[in-house]
Amino acid sequence: MRYYARKLGFYLVALWAALTLNFFIPRLMPGNPVDTLLAKLAQRGGTVDPSARRSYELLLGTDTGEPLWRQYAAYLGNVLRGDLGVSVSAFPAQVTEVIGQSLPWTIVLVGIATLISFALGVTLGTLAGWRRGSWLDSLVPATTVLAAVPYFWLALILVLIFSSSLQWFPLFGGYDTYLPTGWNADFIGSAIYHGTLPALTIVISSVGGWLLGMRNMMVATGSEDYILTAHAKGLRDRRIMTRYAARNAVLPSFAGFAISLGFVVSGSIITEQVFSYPGIGSKLLQAVENSDYALMQGIFLVITVAVLAANLVVDLLYGFIDPRTRVTT
Amino acid sequence: MTQHARWRRSRTAVVGAAAVAMLAAGCGSGGNGGGGGGNSGPADTLVAYTGQAGDYQRNFNPYAPTMIEGPGNIFEPLFFYNVARDGEPTPRLATEFSWNDSGTELSITTRENVTWSDGEPFTAHDVAFTFDMVRANQTMNAIGFEGESEVIDDTHLVVRYPQPAYLEAPSVLGKLWIVPEHIWGAFEDPAQNTVQEPVGTGPFVLGDFKPQAFTLSANPTYWGGEPAVKNIRFVSLSGNQAGADALAAGQIDFQTGPVPDIHNIEKNYPGYEGITAHIFQIALFTCSDTALGCSGPQTDPAVRHAIYHAIDRTQINTLAYQDTAAEISPGFALPGRDDAVISDGLTDRIAPMEPDTARAEQVLTGAGWAKGGDGIYAKDGEKLSLSVRVVSGWTDVITAADTMTQQLKAAGIELTVQQSSWNEWSDARGRGDFELVFDSLYPGPAPDPYYTYNYFFHGDNTAPAGEVANPNFARYDNPEVNAALDALQQIDPEDTAARQPHFDTIQTRLEADMPYIPVLIGGTTSEYNARKFTGWPSEDDLYAFPAVWQRPDNSQIYLNLKPAGGE
Repeated sequence: MRYYARKLGFYLVALWAALTLNFFIPRLMPGNPVDTLLAKLAQRGGTVDPSARRSYELLLGTDTGEPLWRQYAAYLGNVLRGDLGVSVSAFPAQVTEVIGQSLPWTIVLVGIATLISFALGVTLGTLAGWRRGSWLDSLVPATTVLAAVPYFWLALILVLIFSSSLQWFPLFGGYDTYLPTGWNADFIGSAIYHGTLPALTIVISSVGGWLLGMRNMMVATGSEDYILTAHAKGLRDRRIMTRYAARNAVLPSFAGFAISLGFVVSGSIITEQVFSYPGIGSKLLQAVENSDYALMQGIFLVITVAVLAANLVVDLLYGFIDPRTRVTT
Repeated sequence: MTQHARWRRSRTAVVGAAAVAMLAAGCGSGGNGGGGGGNSGPADTLVAYTGQAGDYQRNFNPYAPTMIEGPGNIFEPLFFYNVARDGEPTPRLATEFSWNDSGTELSITTRENVTWSDGEPFTAHDVAFTFDMVRANQTMNAIGFEGESEVIDDTHLVVRYPQPAYLEAPSVLGKLWIVPEHIWGAFEDPAQNTVQEPVGTGPFVLGDFKPQAFTLSANPTYWGGEPAVKNIRFVSLSGNQAGADALAAGQIDFQTGPVPDIHNIEKNYPGYEGITAHIFQIALFTCSDTALGCSGPQTDPAVRHAIYHAIDRTQINTLAYQDTAAEISPGFALPGRDDAVISDGLTDRIAPMEPDTARAEQVLTGAGWAKGGDGIYAKDGEKLSLSVRVVSGWTDVITAADTMTQQLKAAGIELTVQQSSWNEWSDARGRGDFELVFDSLYPGPAPDPYYTYNYFFHGDNTAPAGEVANPNFARYDNPEVNAALDALQQIDPEDTAARQPHFDTIQTRLEADMPYIPVLIGGTTSEYNARKFTGWPSEDDLYAFPAVWQRPDNSQIYLNLKPAGGE
């Protein structure tokens, strides 16, 4: 029990540290929301009367003149109450509303892509590691090359081939905007159709890592005594591969997977840029470009909590699976 | 500046993206005949891309800086002022306006037989309500409106000012969007209301809304008759590159922004045409006044003049702007539109397009600068070395600045390009933390150079370095210019003879002091689907500033378009 209490305590401290950083880091950035907004308005539509500055300062409430420590205290209090404030770039929408609108898209897209990538990488890695020296080994350099290619370039090339030239996939967007939004077959179908190519790019660029890790673990596990014993018992090769070797080899990959699930929330900013996908990554970019502190803090908070939660789950599961980690020395 | 805006999203992707875009354009026309308008929906639906990145947040409050659409299309102004060419304003919700002799009383006649889109009649009371609301809510008063309005009858009202306010007319008549009293009167805080279901008098009403796209539909009861364009769809894309891709695929009908190979739009995008308008005056803003805390070689007017003479504008135009930029006047009146007011007192009516290095060196030598062993001028041990701030990722600006670096080197001036993020750049520009900054002067609410002069050259709109200037970033404070600008406020703009001496003063002072070193007038290029719609503005008939994001100019364009019926 003490083990779990200690873990939870540690995560609470980590959460507080992350919240504090979330508060201060955006404020260290140069610029302020009003000047950014004015510069933007001046570019788009030309006329910005000098009176506009005062007016927007008052509207956005950026000119409070409150000392930083008081803002910090108010911020911590608001976070505890689930009030993340008002977004400046989407004024007067609540940050929670902005995040709520975009988060599901990212979770589904990047989540499914990560899942597919992991499953595919581990399966292929198992086979490649088990039959090392066979043609499957050539997958390792092939996929790592794809992982090494700059992601935005790969994505742009795929857009060029499959969307612009062949027109198999839509060029942009997360769904067909002509369809009524909701849980109906047409809309979900269009969402899947729109998400396929972005998901494909993520899978292609990340499958290499899982494959390589799994293959190397399989090679190491393959030389263990219990594998030799299993062979000596006359078990079927297939059974040894899946039940004896892969099960042990997958453990480190699985820990990595749990952590990468936490990062799903932070989305894939470039994916969302290239495909004009309506996810959290594009919101984060919008927040940074507009000095929208509240939205930045909100998104960082969601990301932090997701990563910490994933880590916590892994930690707790490890304590359960491997009792040695619970022993205090 | 406009053009900068359009490039900036591309960021790191831009290098690869430019090549890909060209390939895409090529493949489009080679593959299956390209877009040509077949893909962008029904024949009477216009698909517009305003540069919106990411999802739309539903906000149709025309006074919110974050509103997504509305001014002109849903909520109308009283008049439409066309900043693209000199001329009288076009009546919208009002039919006439006049000033009293002293310029303190503005009489407005509103249009009869206009109804709100919910069926209620529109009257002068709605106008007075809107004016009072703006005046009462400082958070909505982006134009500094301080007139007192009084309704005479249902179609007449007067606005009274404490002092002559001739030059306020364009912002009051052209930039205040009239809202219905019977709905807005009940809003507790009109500045913060997002007006989810807008009711206006405009030619369009809100149709369908989704975060990725929304539709404005023709208003069947519009006072000017139902528009021929039945629907306008606004889509959101991630930026420049996505916009160019969508254009190549024929999925959007109207967007503003440069595309690769801009002079061959008709060839690369079958069915599409392009139009370029010139209104944003590109200049090197200098932190010019030591009295206001500026430091560096650029505080010496001779240095500013030397740069003015040393740059090769033709080369910059070709290398950085695909030859879309135009000649600029050192008095900052727009050649073409403001020809009548360009001063005869100017040494150069138009800034020379070709460099004159000898002249530049002569100016520097005359001011006591001497060439050092490294070919760079110096004075009192200070080297003539300047830095220019640009935004990273704005490829056209960076190219222009790099080109200037080479050109100025030939004249013995060292220029270093300092790239920073957009936020950092706008912050530094505001606080005067720069030697030179690459930026543009924007126009006012009417085709009158007074507004640009007042915004950027009046001492009231500047601040000492360290404080935020708004928007006289060059820290230019010249009593003569201030007095001329103040005098202009007292004069009826119709009285051109009385105005000209003041315009002469301002322009000649600007040329002599050169706090803003004129470079070129940036071209704002829009691409539109000419096969699907007719009635677009053209260089001969610039009835509105042709940019998809310019409000309410875009509503004039949408009103003027007709489905071509060909497809």
